[in-house]
Amino acid sequence: MRSKTSYFNGTLFKKNLARFWPLWGGASAIGALFPLAFLAILIREGSFFGETMSDPLDITRCYYEVVAWIIPTISLLYAALCALAAWGWLYNPKSVGMYHSLPVTRKGLFVTDFLSGMSMMLIPYAVTGTLCVAVFAVVGGLDPVGLGVTILSVLGLSFFFFASATAVAFITGNPFAFAGFYFIFHFIAAGLEWLVTLLTTMFYFGVERSYQGAIEFLSPTMYLTRKLNVDTVYTQILNPEGWEQAVLESVTLVNGWLIAVYTLVGVVLLAFAWGLYRRRRSESAGDVVAVGWMKPVFRYGVALCAALAGGMALYGLFFEDYRTAASALPMAVCMAVAGLIGYYIASMLLAKSLRVFRGTWKGALATLLAAVALCFAVAADPLGMETWIPREEQVQQVRFWMRGWNGPGVSVLLDDPAAIRQVLEVHRAIVAERETLDRDHFEGETHYAYFDLDYYEDPEDFSGWVNRSYNLPCNDILMDKSEALQKLAALASDPLIQEANIFDQISGENIEARLTGGYAARLYNPETKEMEQVDLTLDQAKALEAAVRRDVAAGNFGRTLFMLDGRYEKAAYTADLDLYYSVTYLGRPRAGSHSQPVSLTLSVYCTETLKALEDLGVVNESRRLLTYAERSALENEEKGIPYTYEDPYSGYYDGGFYPADMVYPEEAYVYPGEEVDAALLH
Amino acid sequence: MIQVTNTVKRFDGFAALDGVSLSVPAGSVYGLVGPNGAGKSTLIRCLTGIYRPDEGELAFDGQSVWENEALKARIAAIADDWYYFPQASIRDMCRFYRGFYPNFSMERYEKLKEVFEIDERRPLRRLSKGMQKQAAFWLTLSAMPDYLVLDEPVDGLDPVMRRQVWSLVLGDVAQRGTTVLVSSHNLRELEDVCDHVGILDHGKVLLERSLAQLQDNMVKLQVVFKDGGDVPGDLEVLHASKVGRIHTLIMRMSAEEATHRLAVYEPMLVDAVPLTLEEIFIYELGGADYAVKDIVL
Repeated sequence: MRSKTSYFNGTLFKKNLARFWPLWGGASAIGALFPLAFLAILIREGSFFGETMSDPLDITRCYYEVVAWIIPTISLLYAALCALAAWGWLYNPKSVGMYHSLPVTRKGLFVTDFLSGMSMMLIPYAVTGTLCVAVFAVVGGLDPVGLGVTILSVLGLSFFFFASATAVAFITGNPFAFAGFYFIFHFIAAGLEWLVTLLTTMFYFGVERSYQGAIEFLSPTMYLTRKLNVDTVYTQILNPEGWEQAVLESVTLVNGWLIAVYTLVGVVLLAFAWGLYRRRRSESAGDVVAVGWMKPVFRYGVALCAALAGGMALYGLFFEDYRTAASALPMAVCMAVAGLIGYYIASMLLAKSLRVFRGTWKGALATLLAAVALCFAVAADPLGMETWIPREEQVQQVRFWMRGWNGPGVSVLLDDPAAIRQVLEVHRAIVAERETLDRDHFEGETHYAYFDLDYYEDPEDFSGWVNRSYNLPCNDILMDKSEALQKLAALASDPLIQEANIFDQISGENIEARLTGGYAARLYNPETKEMEQVDLTLDQAKALEAAVRRDVAAGNFGRTLFMLDGRYEKAAYTADLDLYYSVTYLGRPRAGSHSQPVSLTLSVYCTETLKALEDLGVVNESRRLLTYAERSALENEEKGIPYTYEDPYSGYYDGGFYPADMVYPEEAYVYPGEEVDAALLH
Repeated sequence: MIQVTNTVKRFDGFAALDGVSLSVPAGSVYGLVGPNGAGKSTLIRCLTGIYRPDEGELAFDGQSVWENEALKARIAAIADDWYYFPQASIRDMCRFYRGFYPNFSMERYEKLKEVFEIDERRPLRRLSKGMQKQAAFWLTLSAMPDYLVLDEPVDGLDPVMRRQVWSLVLGDVAQRGTTVLVSSHNLRELEDVCDHVGILDHGKVLLERSLAQLQDNMVKLQVVFKDGGDVPGDLEVLHASKVGRIHTLIMRMSAEEATHRLAVYEPMLVDAVPLTLEEIFIYELGGADYAVKDIVL
């Protein structure tokens, strides 16, 4: 019967739910599968993948993980479907006519349809949530605070996503445009930043990953997924069996306040949607953009995105040299062409006609000029991104990865001010020589080294602050002339850097490491002409570790990184020396230790280690170290195999991959002295 | 009474209604005629609260229809392209309409079941266009409206069903004083049911009269003069034609006055013949450059 208030119409509400029951019913059924499956696993196995889920805090952790990592994405997708169900009538002139001729005000239609859509959003969550709570209550109990926070979070996220879908629903008059606009609305900010920064990477030497997510908060799904997190605090206790056990003390939904903020944003979007509906003309059903003042926004927005994305694609197709910075003029041409295409596509969509060329030349000219201006503005680097180097006091940590033409690279995370200073000096030198280093052609055969830097202003922010990645040309002429390359080579063998590079995995505040043994592999036996392996005793391993540390301190490791033209093959040994440690991470939820190898690449410069290997008898006349050059010569001489160069670190072998049946040492051997925690094997 | 005053409705600068004014007396059947694109459907959408006019007023008994929930509960409309929910049957739509129209009568609904003879449980989408139109009438008349607004209502109905439908509508007018506004591009269709007519073209009302006024103001005479003579030059006729010795004259005056004037010429035969609505419009608008042929198909 007819509702007494004009804000809500019960008939329409019931009709909406009845018409679209397959949507919310299907979603509820799918959602219900998870708690039921969980219950089935618990009954069958007695635990859920090793977790008994008997602790209410464990259950809260599960809830929060779902809120942080699953609900935003699910709500994003499901809200679009619910909005199409609730507002789909706006897109058909016949249904618009029927709805608006009914004795109900637009306010009544808006409120009723919004509540219908919200109900469709919430019913599946309510069904799934109720079942989850029931199942968890049966097996473990209930944490009212965790449950309350979870319910509020789901309500807030559902409201925000459906409100955003509602706002988009009133912008357009076409269901296909709705789908497009909805996802554009949710990702345009991050997408535009990504496109603009991608353009900068094409112009600026070393700027390859400049996306910072500065306006990512305008792309809520991405922002929420990145920012929402679950913080758990464990304490180690000794259980009655004498084992150390981690006990969950507290669980927090990190940045949960963001959900409240986005809920308020949802209120604003809903008010915006109501404003649009009040001004919306019924005859706009079927239009791509139903709001008059948004048509230019759409037209020029499409043109801008097309200029950026299409321009870079065209440039890549016709002009790009992937190693050097882009040229402004051809890029401007590409962006202008792509921008014009986007402009006319948008015009055709708005006019629902292909005949849009007459009378639009002013807009087309504006698009062309804007695309060219944008290109030259970015190319001019007005913000000095290419030459910007952080001040020493700004950098709390730096992570860098460098790889020369030969051998393994160097990958370290440094927080030592002296080491950071050295890295900044190398960075400055590279920037100073950018005109020389960022070119197409060089005298002599040229290889490329790679130097990737991540500066951290806040060590807790793992996404980093600023990144620079340099492809640096390497040959003998350049190495002689370039101060930057010389400093880079020096950095590779610097004791501070190599110490971090080699021993990073076994050192740190929360790491307790104990040497357990090791082995030396690929030692050549001249009699059998086979490669042999020698397991190290704990004493031998300790002696070798001390020798390695002396070599590191003397700057003997990393010296072969930038060697070219056969000198690497003469200096680097094929043998592997691996030391094994039993490592315990303190304060981690799972107790026990695990084995951590430290793999070393030896060269003729590692004099201390070579001497120790000889003194310990690991290397002798019947177990020789061979350089790559020596091994190749032997193969040629003794087996008649033509010379092949093997780079053991790149994963390639004579143009192909390692044989499929190759057994890696970590899996093949039980390491001497290692205590394996049985729990870790699972 | 429905009063439309200086109503303007523009679409992207094009004025579909360009200052329309008309008046539908209470309890009358008003025929809105005009060629395709004249603005009939636009005016009806404005009258039913679908479109908001850019200028002017549309009032039912002095009340504006825009966002007037109580007034709209007394207005029922059948659009040219009547909408129903894709999965719905007539019964489903009946429940839906009952929720909106407070005067919806189940008694009337049950009575009309015998008139329309359609399976009310069949999905509407499986019915023919004519049967869907019947369903629209069934539901709309069951809503017991005070105002009935119909846009090309009998398109797709067979002649028998047209007669049935008009009979029901006119019955409501007679018994309940329902005010009906019906648009059509077919004058012959409206001739038998309307008591008022308005012609709409290019968004303007060209002419608005009661049918009686129109018929009293024009006459068709068949005349035979003595010795087979021609129509005297001093006689004011709108149109004259001759077949054999019989002249057919259209004159803008009453039949009595025309007969009196012709008596001066001592004709052998004078016979007044009723004009069809089509003829009235042709001769009323004959002097203007209007595509009258479009509305007399």
